[in-house]
Amino acid sequence: MAQELYYEDVQVGQAMPPLTKGPVAKLQLVMYAGASGDFNPLHTDDDFAKAVGMPGVIAHGMLIMGFVGQAITDWIPRKNLKKLGVRFAGMTYPGETITVSGTVTDKRKDNGSNLITCEVTAADQNGGVKISGSFVAALPSRG
Amino acid sequence: MADMSKIGKEYPAVSWEVERGKIREMATAIGDANPIYKDKAAAIKEGYKDIPITPTYLTVPAMGGGNMLTLVGDLGINVAMVLHGEEEYEFLSDIYPGDVITGTCRVVNVEEKTTKKGSKMDLVTTEVLYTNQRGEAVAKARTVIVERK
Repeated sequence: MAQELYYEDVQVGQAMPPLTKGPVAKLQLVMYAGASGDFNPLHTDDDFAKAVGMPGVIAHGMLIMGFVGQAITDWIPRKNLKKLGVRFAGMTYPGETITVSGTVTDKRKDNGSNLITCEVTAADQNGGVKISGSFVAALPSRG
Repeated sequence: MADMSKIGKEYPAVSWEVERGKIREMATAIGDANPIYKDKAAAIKEGYKDIPITPTYLTVPAMGGGNMLTLVGDLGINVAMVLHGEEEYEFLSDIYPGDVITGTCRVVNVEEKTTKKGSKMDLVTTEVLYTNQRGEAVAKARTVIVERK
């Protein structure tokens, strides 16, 4: 779990500790379907996926966003996360390994809050981007 | 086919009870071993009142509460051709097990786009504001779904 991280200890340009997940297994997609309630067969039924023009099942985008959420809350306590937004840039297939990385792009004081903005990316073992996005966290001050 | 006339439409509010087991199930499916999502004592030690929701938990009320299916049905979207384009969560206040959150889904945009390869797709943007049983705004979700044609 994340240790407390202070505003003064984070600098623009600093890297978020990367997190590598996977390889993504078909069983994990079944588990995620049950956990999320997203039972679109595109994620669990190869025959269905092929019938709609895919090579086979693809991961729920939200599972990969979940990896991003894990990477963030491994670094920054969950309670400090204020906003997380992502764009799904590519499909994730079973067997792929996903690495979440990020960089702090902004620090600012706003209405008594100490905010940082960080850009995040989730990419596969070949660098293929699955998610690009950003998050905002409010950090405590040492001051 | 997505229906531009639905822009601005608001759907009836949907309520959802936040369950401890569902938070744990979500963390397990993601493979997130952070004990705050599974162990109340660990969460309290970290400064929470109970186990907090995972950052992407709000997909559960969106799917299970029926907002997403209502939307897809009302807009005449072919589920088999749907992809998720974007998702954004804004966390306004804490959400814990036992809370009953109510989400009101609104269509904020419907547009057709052509990809670089020349294929057409519809993009539908929705926003859901969640309030809790005390009427406090707790979160906002913004979703872009894509229908391939």
